[in-house]
Amino acid sequence: MWKYPWGYREGFIITLSVMVAGFAMQLVKGSGVHLPGWPVNGIILVVFILYLILVHRYVKHPLIRWLSSSGAAIASISVFTLLVLLMGFIPQKDPQANDFLKMTGLDHITRSWAYLLTSLFLLIVLGFTIMRRTLPFSIKNTAFFLNHAGLWIVIVAASLGSADLWRLSMSVNEGQVSFTAYDAQNNGYRLPFAIKLMDFKIDEYPPRLGLMNNADGSLKIKKGDKLFEVVEGSEAQLDGWKMVVVHYYENARKNLNRYEPTSMEGAAPAALVLAVERSQRDTVLGWISSGSHKVSPSFLPLNHEVSLAMISPAPRKYSSSIRIYESMNEYEDFTVEVNDPVKYRGWKIYQAGYNEKKGKWSRLSVFELVRDPWLPVVYTGIFMILIGSLYLVWMGRSAKPTAKQ
Amino acid sequence: MTWLEFPYFAFSAIFLWFTGVLLALVRLRGGAVILRDVLLISGTLLPLAFVLLLWDSLERPPFRTLAETRVWYTVFITVIGLVIYYRWRLVWMLIYTMVMGAVFLIINYVNPDTFDKTLMPALQSPWFIPHVIVYIIGYAFLAASSLIGIKGLYQLYRGKSPDHTLWLADNVVYIGFAFLTFGLLFGALWAKEAWGHYWSWDPKETWAFITWLVYLLYIHFRINKKSAIRTALWVLALAFAVLLICWFGINYLPSARSSVHVYST
Ligand code: HEM
Repeated sequence: MWKYPWGYREGFIITLSVMVAGFAMQLVKGSGVHLPGWPVNGIILVVFILYLILVHRYVKHPLIRWLSSSGAAIASISVFTLLVLLMGFIPQKDPQANDFLKMTGLDHITRSWAYLLTSLFLLIVLGFTIMRRTLPFSIKNTAFFLNHAGLWIVIVAASLGSADLWRLSMSVNEGQVSFTAYDAQNNGYRLPFAIKLMDFKIDEYPPRLGLMNNADGSLKIKKGDKLFEVVEGSEAQLDGWKMVVVHYYENARKNLNRYEPTSMEGAAPAALVLAVERSQRDTVLGWISSGSHKVSPSFLPLNHEVSLAMISPAPRKYSSSIRIYESMNEYEDFTVEVNDPVKYRGWKIYQAGYNEKKGKWSRLSVFELVRDPWLPVVYTGIFMILIGSLYLVWMGRSAKPTAKQ
Repeated sequence: MTWLEFPYFAFSAIFLWFTGVLLALVRLRGGAVILRDVLLISGTLLPLAFVLLLWDSLERPPFRTLAETRVWYTVFITVIGLVIYYRWRLVWMLIYTMVMGAVFLIINYVNPDTFDKTLMPALQSPWFIPHVIVYIIGYAFLAASSLIGIKGLYQLYRGKSPDHTLWLADNVVYIGFAFLTFGLLFGALWAKEAWGHYWSWDPKETWAFITWLVYLLYIHFRINKKSAIRTALWVLALAFAVLLICWFGINYLPSARSSVHVYST
C-alpha cells in the first residue's frame, strides 16, 4: 500500500476520509452548506477550472496521475453512491428527523458537508480524467469527452447554480392582481411585474359509477373491475346488476327528490340511473350524485349491502388565462397549463394548483414562478450526455476478446 | 380491448413461446425451422397486439399502471431475447426471456389492473411515452445482462473461461446503460416542464439515480481488464437487485412516503 501507482485500496481510504472529514466539519460547524450566489459562484467556477488546468499542465506528481485513474474513479463513484444510497433510505427534509440525523446532516444530505466534499472530490477526479484523456483532442475520444465533460458540467452547474435558483409560489383569485410571491419559508418577494388572473378553467373526465358498501361507506372496487363512465345513455354491468344512465346532468341541484340542471356555483354532477338485478329481476330507479364542496352526495341503495355511488370526476386539464402587467397600461396575455409553462422575462410561470376542495368551482389558481439562470448550462451538459450515450449504443463495447487471453 | 380479453392473449402467447422454445432446443431442418420462427415471433406479437388495442380503447397511452408497463416489458424483453438468439444463437437467452415474459403475463392475469381511463394532467406530456419506453428497454437489457453475469459465474465455477460471456455482458450493459441514461435525462427534461425543476431528489428519482450509479460503477470497474473478473460478475448479477428495488421496492420504503412518482396499481 501507498506505493505508486495507487490502486483501489488507497482510493477507498482517501475518498472515505474525505467523506468522514465532511461529517466532522458538519459536527463542528453545526449547520449545513449554503453555497454562495452570483457573482461569488461564478468566481469559484473560474478558479476551479483554472486550478484543474494549471495543475494538470504543470504538476507531474504521481498523485495527480493517480487522480485520473480508474481506481480513483471507482472509489469516488462508490463513496458518492453510498451517500445517495443513504438518501434513498433516510427520509430527507423530514421535520421529525431525530437529533443524530440533524447533527450529521443525514436528514438533508444534499446540504451536508460530507456531500459537498465527496462530490467535489468526484469532480476533481472527473476533471483530471477528462484532461488526461482528451488533451490533445482526437476524434476517437468524442464519445468519452461528451459523456464525461457533459456530466462534469451538469454537476457543477446544478450545484453552483442552486443558490441562484428562485422558486416562488403565488396564489391569485379570479379578477385579482398580484405582485407578491412567496418562497418555501413563506418570505414574500415583490416581482418586477404583476399577474392578473382573468379566468381559471378545469376540464374534467366524466364521473364514474361505483358500488359502495352500505356498512362502512367504502367503495367496492375489485382489481380487474371496469369503471364505467357516467354519460347519458351509457350502460354498465356491475356485480350482477345492469345499469342504464337515463339522464345525466353535468351541473345539477337537488329539488325535493329529483335533480335538475343549474349553473349555480357548487353544483354537482347527477344522474338518474335504472338498475336491474339480472337473476332476481329487481328494478331500482333513482338519482345519484357525487356531491361537491357545497352539496352532499346522493347514493342509490340497491339492497341491504350495497348502494350505487357516483365517483367524483377527476381533472383532465386545468389552465389559467393570465394578464401580465409590466406597468399600469402595458400588458400581455397568456395561458398557463400543466406541462406548458409560460416564459416571461427570465421567469417561467407554471400552473401549480387550485382550490382542490372546490374542484371545478375553484376561482383560485396557484402558480409556481421559477428563475434559473444556470439552466442553459445544465441543458448543455445534458445534451452532451445524450449524444454521448447515443454513441455508446452505436459502438457498444470495444473489440471482441481474442480466443486466448 | 379491455383486461377482460387479456387471458386469451396471454395464454396463447405462452403456448406459442413454449412450443417454439421446444423446437429451438432440437436440431431442425427445412420447414420446421420456419415453424419455430413463426411460433416464437407470433408469441411476441400477441402481447404487442393486446397492448396496442388497449391503447386504442383507453384513448391514452397504456404506460401508467404497473400492469400496463408489465405488458410492455414482456414485449421488449422477448424481442431482445429473439434478437440475441438470432444474432448469437444463445438458446438459454431465449428461454430466459420467454420465461420472464410468461411470468409477467401471469402476474397480470392473477393481479390485473382496474380499468381506468383517466390520466392526471401532469402525465399528459409529450415526454411521457419516450421517457417510459426508453426506461423499459434499458431495464430489459440490464435484466439480460445480469443473467449473462450469472452464466459467467457458472462458467468460472466449472473452470471455464468466461471471457466471451463478459464481452457479451459488457456490450449488453453499454446498451442498457445508455437507455437508462436517456430515461433519467428525459425524466429531468420533463420534470422541468411539469414541476418547475429538473431534479428534486424525490425518492423515485434518487433510486433511479442509484441504479444508474451502480451500472456506472460496473462500466468503470471493467475498464481495468485485469481486475477481478469474479467481482465484476457478481456486481453485474447483483446490480439488477438494485434496479428491482427502484422499480417495486420503493413503494415500501419509509423515505418514499412523499414521492410523487410512485405508481398506482
Ligand atoms: C455520464 C457518465 C459516464 C459515462 C457514460 C462514462 C463512460 C465511460 C466509458 C464508456 C469509459 C471507457 C472508455 C474506454 O474504455 O475507451 C470510461 C472511462 C473512464 N471514466 Fe467514465 N463515464 C462516466 C462518468 C465518469 C465519472 C463520474 C468518472 C470519475 C469520477 C469517470 C472516470 C473514468 C475514467 C478514469 C475512465 C478511464 C479513462 C482512461 O483510462 O482513459 N467516468 N467512462
